[in-house]
Amino acid sequence: MRRFTAVSLLFAVLAAALCAPVPASADEIKMVGVITKIDIAGADAKTATVTLKDNKTGEPVTVIVNDDLTLDKFKDHRINPGDEIRLKYEVKDGKNVSRYFRKTAGC
Amino acid sequence: MSRKGSILLTTILSAALALPAASFGADEGLQQKVEALSKEVKALQQQVQSQKEGKKRISDWLTIGGDYRFRVDSLSAKVPSHFAFADILAWQLGGQVGPPPMRQAATVENDVLYTNRFGLNLKARAARDVTVTARLLMYKTFGNGDSTATSGTFFADRIGVFDGTQGHVPGDGKLTVDQVFATWSNILDQPIWFSVGRRPSTNGIPSHLRQNDERPGVSGIPALLVDYAFDGMTLGYAPDIEALPGAYAKLCYGRGFENGFTTSSSANTNLRDTDMIGISVVPYDTDPLFLDVQYNRGMNIFDFPVFAESTLGPLRPAADLGDIDWLGVTALSTLKKTGPGTLNLFASAAVSKTHPNANTVVFGGVDTGAGLLHSGVVESKTGNAIYLGARYDITATRTKIGAEFNRGSKNWITFVPAGDDIWTSKLGTRGNVYELYAIQEFNAAPISSYVSKTFFRVGFQYYDFEYTGTNNWVGAPVKISELTASPLNAQMLTPLSRATDLYATLEVKF
Repeated sequence: MRRFTAVSLLFAVLAAALCAPVPASADEIKMVGVITKIDIAGADAKTATVTLKDNKTGEPVTVIVNDDLTLDKFKDHRINPGDEIRLKYEVKDGKNVSRYFRKTAGC
Repeated sequence: MSRKGSILLTTILSAALALPAASFGADEGLQQKVEALSKEVKALQQQVQSQKEGKKRISDWLTIGGDYRFRVDSLSAKVPSHFAFADILAWQLGGQVGPPPMRQAATVENDVLYTNRFGLNLKARAARDVTVTARLLMYKTFGNGDSTATSGTFFADRIGVFDGTQGHVPGDGKLTVDQVFATWSNILDQPIWFSVGRRPSTNGIPSHLRQNDERPGVSGIPALLVDYAFDGMTLGYAPDIEALPGAYAKLCYGRGFENGFTTSSSANTNLRDTDMIGISVVPYDTDPLFLDVQYNRGMNIFDFPVFAESTLGPLRPAADLGDIDWLGVTALSTLKKTGPGTLNLFASAAVSKTHPNANTVVFGGVDTGAGLLHSGVVESKTGNAIYLGARYDITATRTKIGAEFNRGSKNWITFVPAGDDIWTSKLGTRGNVYELYAIQEFNAAPISSYVSKTFFRVGFQYYDFEYTGTNNWVGAPVKISELTASPLNAQMLTPLSRATDLYATLEVKF
């Protein structure tokens, strides 16, 4: 019974998560998409241009990535074309600048 | 006909004769080009049609990878003088004639042990947000089709191969399913995932450093607490918190033993399924700092897992001994551009606490009086362990040099039988273990994947056992130096006071 309760609890938490949508901030755009191209200039690059295909619309979206942690992952090939990314970006001077760039979680 | 006329006629005739041939040659080239273009157009049409029909190329949805390892080990250990449980029992039943029989100190060796290990990884994107991941493993010794060459009577995790260690200790050479799980990600467009199946609950953080593996992502488990091929499930959440980059948390569940059908008169009616639940919180996951805090509870811990064959004969659970709690914390740091390379540092610490019931192990029809980390008086025991290490990666030469140390206290018990060590999973040791290793990667451009690599690894392990019962939760530990103090310290398994393993590998990851 105790194990059944534990498993039931797991599913209950899952159900609760499903019923609790989180609102997005107005000035940022969130999306999930698959990387189709990464342009990065060498090991010392301080910026990268990444093109992703939006999972929902199927449209290509290009973002500029400036944060070192993500750039390191491009350089080490820990993030590659084909990887699915959850990202958040804002539009600055007509360019999409990444504020959050992470492989979609799951194992 | 003049001579000039003859020449002109000959020239014209020759040209006339040559023209069709040249024309035919040109036609043939043109024809080939047209055929090639037709094929291309047809292929494009098929591609477009396939896309219209929802079909994709295999590489769009299936990722294939894997690894091969050849390993050679040279093993040596010292058995201290001790009383053996079977000898003492026979002596008692025989009327205690003469002094209690004592087994003398001895040396155990295997000069050269070769093993092959092959792993095949598959990841299929079945549908949007749904993947299926699998890892198949084969691990065997050269010249053997079973586990006898690497099974001894020394440690509970190496008396044979069972469900939690399949593919992780040398076995029968069959390709087994080490992992297979389905994952549903992006639940409700949130960074929430649910995953169920045979789990990636082996080779966790920071043991990936000495294995020269990539750091496990959110699927990672702390190596000091869990290294066991579990069937189970996970519910995870990776929130976007600016102050806590990479943060995530997981609720995990695994089944270690399924008791099957029971009736009021069946032999297993007093047994219960063995389960484990865990809560993992990773508040920070970056290269310079990775932090993990994990709590686990193992419930209804069995006395023996199911061994179809073992050095003690076929075994299966016969008693539920109680519960165990664990709490651990792990910190890992990767510091790039530290001198000519990258410095990796880690520290892990954990405590274990048993909650025994009154059940004891009956072996061969004899009640041993041994329960969950106790022999005689039923009492809760608390143990602790630390695991420290560093690896320096020299960028220019692709050389990696590492050192590790772990120590477990008298009553330390963990759940790591699948650890990648021949003698016994080193992180369960009650005593000290030292390990040094060097890795030399080939300077070969990867072809199969971005992370493919080939390397040699050479290492040395030294185990210094202070108490008996490493990786065994049955019975109270006895100090190695007090084994001969009393027949009451008699051991079911053969104790070792120290052990060494000099090993070398050739590994290819693709």
